[in-house]
Amino acid sequence: MTDPAFLVIAAATVIGAILAIEARDLVYGAAALGITFLGVAGLFILLDATYVAAFQIAVYIGAVVVLILFTVMLVGPVKGEAPIEHRRTSLMTAILVSLMLGIGGSLVSSNAFPGVDACGASCDLQLLSQTLLLGSGSNGGYAIQLELLSFVLVAAVIGALTLAKTERKA
Amino acid sequence: MVDLPPDPISMTIQIMTSPLFLKIAIFPGLASIGIIAALLTWLDRKITARVQLRIGPQYVSPLGGILQSFADLIKLAFKELIIPEKADRFFFLLAPIFGMVLGAGLIGLIPFSPETLISNLEVGLPVFLAFVTLSPTLVLLAGWSANSKYPFIGGLRSLFQQTGYEIPLWLSSIGVVMMAGSFNLSKIVQAQSTGYVLFGVHWWFIVPQILGAIIFLVTSVAEQERIPFDLPEAEPEIIMGWQAEYPGFLFLAAQGAGFIKLYAFSALFTTIYLGGYLGPGPLPPLFWSIFKTTVMVVVVILLRGAFGRVRLDQLLRYGWTLLLGLAIANIAITYFLIEGIPAI
Amino acid sequence: MVAEGIPELVYYLGFILVNTIAIVIVLILLVSPRDRKPTPEKRAPFESGQIAVGRGRTRFIIQYYPYLLMFVVYDVVSMFLFAWALNLRSVGAAGTVPIFIFVSVLLFPLGYALKLANKPENW
Repeated sequence: MTDPAFLVIAAATVIGAILAIEARDLVYGAAALGITFLGVAGLFILLDATYVAAFQIAVYIGAVVVLILFTVMLVGPVKGEAPIEHRRTSLMTAILVSLMLGIGGSLVSSNAFPGVDACGASCDLQLLSQTLLLGSGSNGGYAIQLELLSFVLVAAVIGALTLAKTERKA
Repeated sequence: MVDLPPDPISMTIQIMTSPLFLKIAIFPGLASIGIIAALLTWLDRKITARVQLRIGPQYVSPLGGILQSFADLIKLAFKELIIPEKADRFFFLLAPIFGMVLGAGLIGLIPFSPETLISNLEVGLPVFLAFVTLSPTLVLLAGWSANSKYPFIGGLRSLFQQTGYEIPLWLSSIGVVMMAGSFNLSKIVQAQSTGYVLFGVHWWFIVPQILGAIIFLVTSVAEQERIPFDLPEAEPEIIMGWQAEYPGFLFLAAQGAGFIKLYAFSALFTTIYLGGYLGPGPLPPLFWSIFKTTVMVVVVILLRGAFGRVRLDQLLRYGWTLLLGLAIANIAITYFLIEGIPAI
Repeated sequence: MVAEGIPELVYYLGFILVNTIAIVIVLILLVSPRDRKPTPEKRAPFESGQIAVGRGRTRFIIQYYPYLLMFVVYDVVSMFLFAWALNLRSVGAAGTVPIFIFVSVLLFPLGYALKLANKPENW
């Protein structure tokens, strides 16, 4: 817990998240979101999941942030115009939500992931395919979850395209 | 890592003379990246000029103008930094600098010989491709930050081109991963010397992966925004696209980032398809990797003189239909090769 | 909590490369002269001699938006394809079936996106 690398990366993640919400110019907010994702990738590296960290950078910062930036640049307020004003929520709400997330997070992480795999850094790659597709020991692989993920992606894409396009009267 | 003596001066000396630091600072690290980027600028201009029956840079030194880019560097460093009004200063300054940092980060992953490599990551190939994926974000921010029509159009075109061609780039390199069984770039090179045997010769991956190699070459040229994919720059149309408003040294940084990417992609192609530092006999492995990288650089530069420019909608349509389909076909072919032929 | 070897190399690489390049570039930027006499002509956007009219950031090429969505989806697909490809020889045909279904299911939104993209009248 007192590992200085962890403290720096966690601080960067949290500060990036706060900036992403509070920034007046949406493009700065999206860039701060990129810093947050970079921090999450750093946390993955600290947990010996370098493969996940590399793809966290590639998928989140490389694709999701780009999509957000594109949308903001085309549809958002022009720089120099008045920024969008939000209703300020109360401090009590903020404290309650943080407590809920903190307690929930610590409960989940202590019960759902029993113990650290003692494999070290190279283990996750030697068995990556097998753990994902065929499973190790008692669980039969994550193939069902993979198919569910594909259906979620299909629904998301078709939904996004249908909502975004305009119907012209023929 | 090593035990550092408590005295700061001798600690500095020990770090600076350690082999890892020398590799990072000199070769294949920072100093050589800067020099190679400058030399590649010259090489590009010289070869393109010869292809177009011109002479190219010739005045700056007796050796065919080879110091031209250093002269340009000195000239551009002293130019005034004019930032357009209402431009977003932070991203305007940040984007070309980060572009160079990205390019240098790419070089750090390539094994130029069994000893000369900065970082031997087990997840080398995905990290390389993840760095490449950061490039469209930077270009979009650069084009937007100048607050001027033409850079913004160039930035958007660049965004669609680079994102569209990045997926076939990734998928074509999956074929190599399937055959080598590792993401580690050193192990991929070694797999090309201990891999399958046909007629008594260990073939480099370019032979079974010829389709993947061609797709990789085409998509990496598109990633670097070189001709025939230079629509985002499009000199007569939109005045250098997203680089249009960059003054002086920032322009040099933007161009230099492009040439560092050229070097990095050629080096990666050499590593995963052409056997990296493998080569016969008495010549050292370092020579072979640099020689093959230079051959690939010259091939990509020659493409500039040979082809016209591809239009954006054609480019995107072919990228998402033809190249993506071919890349998936390459994965399928490699799968049947591995499952069917036990020697592979 | 930090394992040996690989994260060390990542830190080393990242720290040294980023800092040294940034220092070199900042040093060179310090040499470049600043804009001491900004006239309105100098600071206006560059359009090869024309006077710039209109906003600096106009709406463009939104008909290629489906390509961006497909990029996000196929970025995730290639993550799983890399994971499958790594130990292909040990998972064999049994492990390829889920990946095959996964990729085939995701070809349908690709087809829909390609049908919608490139046509400005749809947007």
